[in-house]
Amino acid sequence: MLDGIGTLARLGLAAVWLTSGLLKAVDPAQTYVAVRAYDVLSKDVVGVVAGVLPWLEIALGLLLLVGIGTRAVAVLSGLLLLAFVAGVSQAWARGLSIDCGCFGGGGAVAPGQTQYLQEILRDAGFLALAVWLTVRPRTLFAGEHRLVASAVPERRGA
Amino acid sequence: MGGADRSERKRNQAASQARLKAAGITPKRSGLSGTPLVLTIVAVVVIAAIVVGVVVTMKNKAAEAAGPAPNYPVSRAGAVITAGQAAAPVTVDIYEDYLCPYCERLESTYKDQITTALNAGQIKVNYHAISILDNASKPAGYSTRAANAAICAADAGIFPAYHAALYADQPAEGSAGFSVQQLSDKGTALGAPASFGQCVAAQGDTNLIEQATNTAAATPALQSNGQFGTPTVAIGGRKIDVNDSQWLQNALKS
Repeated sequence: MLDGIGTLARLGLAAVWLTSGLLKAVDPAQTYVAVRAYDVLSKDVVGVVAGVLPWLEIALGLLLLVGIGTRAVAVLSGLLLLAFVAGVSQAWARGLSIDCGCFGGGGAVAPGQTQYLQEILRDAGFLALAVWLTVRPRTLFAGEHRLVASAVPERRGA
Repeated sequence: MGGADRSERKRNQAASQARLKAAGITPKRSGLSGTPLVLTIVAVVVIAAIVVGVVVTMKNKAAEAAGPAPNYPVSRAGAVITAGQAAAPVTVDIYEDYLCPYCERLESTYKDQITTALNAGQIKVNYHAISILDNASKPAGYSTRAANAAICAADAGIFPAYHAALYADQPAEGSAGFSVQQLSDKGTALGAPASFGQCVAAQGDTNLIEQATNTAAATPALQSNGQFGTPTVAIGGRKIDVNDSQWLQNALKS
């Protein structure tokens, strides 16, 4: 039962990262504009973050999908989500008018068009998945079980 | 559960562990995620993703720094600044707002390709300075102010370098943008004569820029889904998709 919930959390978070990462990867200009709109990083750092973020998200998504290092990946996911929440919060607090660019999109929007609360709540939901998997990383159909299980019998008969 | 239960379970566990050990089997740990092999795989995949992102970014940046120097004539008619030789076979129209971050991306991504084609006489580019984002600066008006300065730069003979400079440290939306003084100083730094500063201060082409903006915005061939936005790039008067990274190469082939 708990393993089933964990499995759903793992696959759900995998779907989130793969979707957001691919949407960012296919439109580098959009991703750059989205990162820049947070108005936190210098021009050079914006370029690096916008270049790295899509591939990092895809990597986390693939690892969760396959189920390797679920706890470690869940911790990394949680940290990344906390960074996103911090970014959105500072934009909100400073009165910027931007879209988070969480799933593609991003950049400046009209002052009445911001959705900071919804964006933070959505990230909090994803964060809950990451916390579950950090506390209880056991899931069904995870690749790491196979990896470890296959490593064990080699010692047999030694 | 009671303490007796727990201690019995512990005893059973210890006994089964001992049996497994005797059989030469290492029992699976419950925290599978923490085994060195698994953590190594995670580290390798995550670091590979980061390295790919950094390398691609650095490569683009290095290519940008080593770009070709502009070597083409520039002329102006009204608010339209034309770069390249008049006889060039392909005409590219670029509609841009100096505050628009996607215009900065267009400039950053394709500047070198465009400069190379301009130098070779393959294309000419009509730069239309558009002021649709005037309300996105605080106070409003940076788009028009910068467009005026760009026109002055064309007259002062420094347009290619000035155009690049306006994007190199483009102000963010929501900021004040460069003042008249700052716009003037940028031109002086690029070797503009004293008249450049006076031209920028006069902001004399505001009406031309507004007319050009309204005309462009009302041209159906420049719209997508009935909307005009910046950047818009048109070849032979027809809007093309600049998300296709081959747009310029394709235009040169045809």
